[in-house]
Amino acid sequence: MSATVLDIITTAALLYAVAAGLLIVFGVMKIINFAHGAFLTVGGYAALAVTHWGLNPWFSLPAAFVAGCACGMLIERVVMRPLYSRPLDAILATWGLGIILGQLITLAFGREVQFVRSPLAGTMNFLGTAYSEYRLSVVLAAAVLAGALGLALNGTRLGLNTRAVIMNENLARALGIDSARVRFGTFSLGAGLASLAGALITPLSSVDLNMGVPWLVNAFMLVLVSGVSLISLGIACLVLGGAQVLVSTYLNPILGGLTIVVLAALLLRLRPKGFSRD
Amino acid sequence: MRLKLHTLACTTVLALGWATGQNAVAADPIKIGVPVGLSGANSVVAPSVVQSAELAVEEINARGGVLGRPLELEVADDGSGAAGAKKAFDSLIYQKKVDVLISMETSAARNAGLPIVTRGKTPFIYTSFYEGRSCNKYLYVDAWVPDQQVAPIVDFFRTTYKAKTYFLIGSDYAFGRGMLQFTRGYIEKTGGKVVGEEYLPMDGSDWTAIVSKLKAAGPDALVTSTAGGAPNVTLTKQLRAAGVKLPYGNLAVDEGTAKSMGPDAEGIYISGSYFTNVDGVKNKEFLAAMQKKFGTGLKTPNDLSVPQYEAVYLYKAAVEKAGSTAADKVVPLLGQVSFEGPRGLIRMNKQRHAPLTMYLGQVQKDGGIKILESFKDVDPGDQCPSLK
Repeated sequence: MSATVLDIITTAALLYAVAAGLLIVFGVMKIINFAHGAFLTVGGYAALAVTHWGLNPWFSLPAAFVAGCACGMLIERVVMRPLYSRPLDAILATWGLGIILGQLITLAFGREVQFVRSPLAGTMNFLGTAYSEYRLSVVLAAAVLAGALGLALNGTRLGLNTRAVIMNENLARALGIDSARVRFGTFSLGAGLASLAGALITPLSSVDLNMGVPWLVNAFMLVLVSGVSLISLGIACLVLGGAQVLVSTYLNPILGGLTIVVLAALLLRLRPKGFSRD
Repeated sequence: MRLKLHTLACTTVLALGWATGQNAVAADPIKIGVPVGLSGANSVVAPSVVQSAELAVEEINARGGVLGRPLELEVADDGSGAAGAKKAFDSLIYQKKVDVLISMETSAARNAGLPIVTRGKTPFIYTSFYEGRSCNKYLYVDAWVPDQQVAPIVDFFRTTYKAKTYFLIGSDYAFGRGMLQFTRGYIEKTGGKVVGEEYLPMDGSDWTAIVSKLKAAGPDALVTSTAGGAPNVTLTKQLRAAGVKLPYGNLAVDEGTAKSMGPDAEGIYISGSYFTNVDGVKNKEFLAAMQKKFGTGLKTPNDLSVPQYEAVYLYKAAVEKAGSTAADKVVPLLGQVSFEGPRGLIRMNKQRHAPLTMYLGQVQKDGGIKILESFKDVDPGDQCPSLK
């Protein structure tokens, strides 16, 4: 039983790490960034490069974040900025970007499935249950991430500007906020966060071109039901991620894979606001 | 003008090449189609399969080809799945007009390709171990089936570890389910009990709930049968991260994958018809030739790539015996010819399948395989009773 509880918490933490970047970009730009999965993959390969260079596996986290941010900055300037007045085209562009990033990674690293060393192997005794150390450390990482994001949004000038843009971009601009800069900052940060999440999941997974795909769909649904709030996102991850673990454990893991998508769709039908409060 | 000169140069080179080519081998090449999963789940192992096919073709061409014609490979990516396989088989059979298909693929890809093979009337040698009982007029298999592979592992767990209860985990597709269905039957027949059987979709990577169920069930031993490559790795990593130290038999891991998984693979029991350290002169010659041809780019030869190498030779023998590449002549002869390869004497004479020498091995710390036992000429059982 307690293993199930830990499964739920660690799964929610992983989902939160993956969805946070998508949520921020969605909040500011009002578009779903389909390149999110590709940024996740970038992070996986950054972790792979760290392994190849024989560095400490923990180093893959900052490396992935920096690589993701760099990709995000470049893409925002070159591709996204000219499309801000055409949101539908921008969504298509992110889709195409995902494909291009995938092909570039293929050229650099090859098509095959590869592996990254885990920084923590083995289990530890947690409240009477022997549980994977690495999965527990992911919870810690997600908590730090949530705290840092909360601080950045609520405690800094850029965060204040960002929240203003999220609430009403035109009004924010009228007040002299440089919304282009906010967009640049959030898109890069979102890409960096996706990439960081990619590096976080690789020790539990393999590194391949499609590693981002299963995560993208779930993250997308979670963002849709959580409005634009990091707190609602946390609740959504716990509730829907928890449902996924329960269905997988007590019914069938194949159905478990569908749980988040199905529940999110149902929730949006019954309560269009999802988990957001206002 | 510059462009024209360039074109002229190209044409001259082409013409020269054609002229010299004429002297070396006088006839059209015999085309071998190789649909494999260069991307997707099989991408870990597919390059080794292509390499061993390349070696076989090079060796045969160096000795004058087959019936005076050179062999030529046409490799196509099937994406490790059904959709990609349909495209790959279509283009190989109808556009490239290959004379034969020789390939290691997922069962999903093979099943999707077979109707196209039937329509195209093309001989097809399947070189991957699989769940068994795939029967088609044009299909031969020179790798193992569950009847040959499962028994060594289960017998070993029963006698060495006194295992009575087993947990089975697989990928949700023909191979995963087929292998575990056979395993369940064999365990129950030999007095054991299956306490859990769980599947994840082929592209699934989150084994969390299944691992927790396994730990809750507390079995004596674990047998897994996932798709090769990514799912196998993610499952093994998550099992190790969760501290699972049961006797662990893996029906789908090959030597190359085991090596690249690193320390997580240590201790896994595997059963197969080929490991790089099997005895025999033919194996030593094969490994030396592979090393010479590919050098540092060599992908470790394995139980999926060696049957591919042997199948090219088996096809050569059948074509030479038939005196032609005509499918209706070659297909019946594929069941009669034999070839002495790295795995010993291979002959696909048992209902389109091959009796094979099987080995039980354990993955060592360095990723190598220690052979614990060998079983000579294990019969594939009744696979296709209605086909001769």
